[in-house]
Amino acid sequence: MGKPTSKRRIVISGLGVIAPNGIGKEQFWDALKEGRSGIKPVRRFGTTGFKCHMAGEIDSEFNPAEFLGSKGLRNLERTSRLLCSAAKMAIDDAGLTINDKNTDDIGVCTGTTLSSLWNIAEFDKEAIQDGPLFTNVALFPGTVMNAASSQVSIRFGIQGFNTTISTGYSSSIDALKYAMDFLRMRRIKTVLVGGVESLSLVNYSGFYRLGYSAGINGEELSCPFDRRRNGIILSEGAAVIVIEDEESALERGARIYAEVNGIGNCFDAFRMGKYQPDARGLKKSIKEALRTTDIGVSDIDYINASANSVYEQDRLETKAIKDVFGRYAYNIPVSSIKSMIGETFSAGGLFQIASSIGSMYNGYIPPTINYEVRDSECDLDYVANCSRITRINNVLINNHGPGGSNAAFILSKWN
Amino acid sequence: MNSNVENELRKMVAEIIEVPEEKLSVEADFFNDLNVDSLKAIEIVAAFEKKYRVVIPEKDIPTIRNLGQIVAYTKKLNIQ
Repeated sequence: MGKPTSKRRIVISGLGVIAPNGIGKEQFWDALKEGRSGIKPVRRFGTTGFKCHMAGEIDSEFNPAEFLGSKGLRNLERTSRLLCSAAKMAIDDAGLTINDKNTDDIGVCTGTTLSSLWNIAEFDKEAIQDGPLFTNVALFPGTVMNAASSQVSIRFGIQGFNTTISTGYSSSIDALKYAMDFLRMRRIKTVLVGGVESLSLVNYSGFYRLGYSAGINGEELSCPFDRRRNGIILSEGAAVIVIEDEESALERGARIYAEVNGIGNCFDAFRMGKYQPDARGLKKSIKEALRTTDIGVSDIDYINASANSVYEQDRLETKAIKDVFGRYAYNIPVSSIKSMIGETFSAGGLFQIASSIGSMYNGYIPPTINYEVRDSECDLDYVANCSRITRINNVLINNHGPGGSNAAFILSKWN
Repeated sequence: MNSNVENELRKMVAEIIEVPEEKLSVEADFFNDLNVDSLKAIEIVAAFEKKYRVVIPEKDIPTIRNLGQIVAYTKKLNIQ
């Protein structure tokens, strides 16, 4: 396979973010630039008996009625509230009007994996407590994985395709790839690509019991690439971008943030919960992302890392970058926003994209905060603790995890 | 008619269909006057069943179209 010759250009024209450290793109970008963390003690459920107590929780400042009105909120579970609110922001930001004429040309594609767990747990709890004849029927629609994505289509009257991608850590970028394929095949003109996860005691305890949470074997801190790293701080939130083909964006006079450029993914499952020891899948994804663009390795100005403060994850990502970029790896700034927002799992990739748009738009690289103790195996330029003012034309965004799913994506300045 | 039961039911239905209690008259038709969709209708039935620990037979469900008919149904079941 050679490089694509007559590629349709795809651009980003809208953005909505609800992150632990900021609601709305401006707040989010400001927080990242200032190195402000959204990680704090969990308030939504008790953590007594756990060795960890922190999370990247969306606090009570988030009021979905501000974005969606109060009607119909009663039965909208937390994940759908987060995603629909971010979608509303993105639609408004893109200046997109959805009507009978264009509704079939707009699709929705969402990355999410754990978000229905809370509803499933609540539904089951009632079935056990009150008996299966007296369950709360209102909880049932929210027990399915595609509930939140579907609610976006229902609420905003979108009649094009609606798909949910649940590939764990790489869900967001996999969702973006799926949406890009639809656009390139001319089966759709515009797609709302989203990523969402919500916190619940069930998923908090799942990561904890598997030993992935920071604080079990060390300091409870999200400190990617730092030698003290010992696990994730679990988080929640939603981010949605509006992508469309360049022609249609120009036709409607939309403001264009950036070009959706190369993308690649690879599944390299090794053993249950163990990383592929050579980061084969991540390397293959990065190479594929580069191959599908016209740019070379030296054109990458910044890498927005997947590193989440898990010992192996950060080490392997560093190795993958060095193996792909060779000596040039030492010239590329690499930072992890997960030091500030924690691990949002399936939504991670979309937050990285939202952050990278801000980097490109406002000319800065967000820092890796909490970086103090150097690890000899992690020896790249991690933009420690303070953001860096610089011009950015191309960003590489990585997603990988112990489940075997890997993805990489290149966001480029649009000219 | 037991007004306590009526008030309890009005509160329950008003919350599900998201209308103020004072606007929920006994005669207002759920479907034609109050825009109740099928999911909300199922929710009303389920909430009623849960509250009074009864199961409403399928054949009875279409006959209940307003608050008054729900209250009448409780009388039929001897709910005080």
